[in-house]
Amino acid sequence: MSKRITIDPITRIEGHLRIDVEVDDHAVNNAWASCTMWRGIENILRGRDPRDAWLFTQRFCGVCTTVHAMASVRAVEDALKLEVPLNAQYIRNLILIAHALHDHIVHFYQLSALDWVDILQIPKADPAATSKLAESLSPWPRNSRNELKAAQDRVNAVAASGQLGIFMNGYWGHPAMRLSPDLNLLAFSHYIQALEYQRKALQVVGILGSKTPHIQNLTVGGVANAIDLDSASGLNMEKLELIRVLLGEVIEFINQVYFVDVCAVAAMYPEWFKIGSGVKNYLAVPDLPLDSAGSSYDLPGGIIINGNIAGARFFKTASDKDFRAGVSEDVAHAYYHGGKPLHPWAGETDPQFTGWNGDQKYSWVKAPRFNGEPMQVGPLAQVLVGYAQGHPLTVKYANLAISNLQAVGGFRVTPDMLHSTLGRHAARAIRASMLAELAQKHLQLLTDNIAKGDYEVHNQPVFPGHEVEGVGTHEAPRGTLSHWIVIKDEKIKNYQAVVPSTWNASPRDAAGAQGPYEASLLHTPLARPEEPLEVLRTVHSFDPCMACACHAFDPEGREIAKVKVL
Amino acid sequence: MKKILIGGIGNILLGDDGVGPYVARLLEADYNFDDGVVVADLGTPALDLIDQLSGKDAVILIDSVKADATPGTVLLYRKADIMRHCPAVRMDPHSPALVDALLSADLFGVAPPEVLLIGIQPHSLDVGCNLSQPVQAALDQAVTEVLRELKRLGVQPQCRQVPAERAIWWTEQASHQSEQASYRRMPLGLP
Repeated sequence: MSKRITIDPITRIEGHLRIDVEVDDHAVNNAWASCTMWRGIENILRGRDPRDAWLFTQRFCGVCTTVHAMASVRAVEDALKLEVPLNAQYIRNLILIAHALHDHIVHFYQLSALDWVDILQIPKADPAATSKLAESLSPWPRNSRNELKAAQDRVNAVAASGQLGIFMNGYWGHPAMRLSPDLNLLAFSHYIQALEYQRKALQVVGILGSKTPHIQNLTVGGVANAIDLDSASGLNMEKLELIRVLLGEVIEFINQVYFVDVCAVAAMYPEWFKIGSGVKNYLAVPDLPLDSAGSSYDLPGGIIINGNIAGARFFKTASDKDFRAGVSEDVAHAYYHGGKPLHPWAGETDPQFTGWNGDQKYSWVKAPRFNGEPMQVGPLAQVLVGYAQGHPLTVKYANLAISNLQAVGGFRVTPDMLHSTLGRHAARAIRASMLAELAQKHLQLLTDNIAKGDYEVHNQPVFPGHEVEGVGTHEAPRGTLSHWIVIKDEKIKNYQAVVPSTWNASPRDAAGAQGPYEASLLHTPLARPEEPLEVLRTVHSFDPCMACACHAFDPEGREIAKVKVL
Repeated sequence: MKKILIGGIGNILLGDDGVGPYVARLLEADYNFDDGVVVADLGTPALDLIDQLSGKDAVILIDSVKADATPGTVLLYRKADIMRHCPAVRMDPHSPALVDALLSADLFGVAPPEVLLIGIQPHSLDVGCNLSQPVQAALDQAVTEVLRELKRLGVQPQCRQVPAERAIWWTEQASHQSEQASYRRMPLGLP
């Protein structure tokens, strides 16, 4: 007899990710992903000045502010065929990299580590032995017995108080938890330290963007940073040096802690390299442009169909014509009016709420498709595309992850095993180390270009008389983001954002093909269906980010996800 | 010198959810604050809020609250009121984060000892950039509550002789005028 389990953080006004699974004999045999709130925020943009759009789009989401700002200015620049001066490209790239490093650290430690790390095992750990274990894994200087003891004391204090606080809702002592007490302590100690390093990454965004959480320095055609080596207010040598120091500290944390922890934790859960694959079509766009016209990039993009890495196709530019032509959105199972799938430039957002019905409409998320196929996006897509291309930086860190896993876990991860829940975590760590290296490169490129006497940061936008279309892409922390704009008479005629989590959280399409979250959950074993930790592990591995919008505090609400077993 | 954060929380694209950022920008335009006092439009910061809270002596947050009260009602919550609630089992990083952020900050030993949440009951959270009439009418009281809390904390902001331009760029002009009718600057601080 199958059971239906609904995981639905229902309590708040804003939208959320809801997951429904059918469980038969302790394994998932069907799944639905849905979003519970309509946003339609794009409609606000119609009729506005395209030059202002980024100010609004960066409010789409509270965490991914920067990425929506960037995709927006790029969309307008694409429509106007406007080049961006080198300094502006480098400054934007540095902001995007710093934001992504921040995001990847937060994702692992704050949002998903505790799916694998059992807090209640920590009191049993031996800090001295943990410190030795840590030394065998990494040269990180903050793995001393004292530092680990202090982390353990924090957990002991929480346990003694009887108030579990932030840990109240964890599935502690769950049979799917398997780390030793010492490894649990080590990971937890880094969970605490992670706060400092993600903050340093944000400081870099703040210095270049002049403010966080909402950067102020963008403009269509470049950036508004005044490069003035002699002025205190402009971008000067002192600020560039501060950025170098901050990035240096973040990079050490990425390489010596985050990357190492992902490999060490993953090594203890080898079966999770075989669970959670789902949709094996992947999509990534090139990013981090190296010239004004955007003709060469530091991060590769392309598509992989049905896991065929050898048959990958690559995108030359961020607005490749195959990419522009291939994207459409299907609303057969989403709460919208409409028939055939529509290209985003012709996209409509006309709500038709029917209530959840798994056979018909059940989500506010549209189903984006590429040439009619569901696609998985995110660091895994980018790493697989890079690996397929023989992209040196991708290969370097992918091989490092494989050898780390072999050393700690004693098993060899093949590229095929990356189509999995832990494959997504490993790919995110690989990408973080790639970005860390690129951070230093782009800071050097910026410094060198300024040293040549080039202070240009902005090209003036010119609007043609006729209607124009553009797409702005960004390979964001959660995957391919694209903003699609139609401009007429210097006003926005249509605007659609196809965001990474729409690709991944997509509902079924008219042909019945499931989206990546849904497909990834099939066959997942559940030790205790009433505590669906395994479902959370896989969903969290995508780094989901739903209706990121509304934030009203609910004083009466139990701010707890509801797990309903029927 | 006390380190104080005055933070407006909310999404400016969702009607009355923008009240927090709105109040933050009114305060920024109308008052000069001591060093150590930061006024910020935080948007919807989720877990980044931990950073904003950490190491502060006191935090004053302005946000819309779903309290089943009459729209425009201003409600005050102290740290203990907020912390009564369970943290979320998070599906995504954007799940409501105030409780989580405070609990995490506590765990890390960086939580502010004093927290006041000034909540305003929204009328509408539909997509749009303007505040509803009832919430505009509450701006005065929300600002007063911020000033009252600052006084309690021993901080007295100076009302600017000439207010700076309000950086409330997202609203329609017409809405702005009706707001000005219901909100008045308070030259002496508290009425």
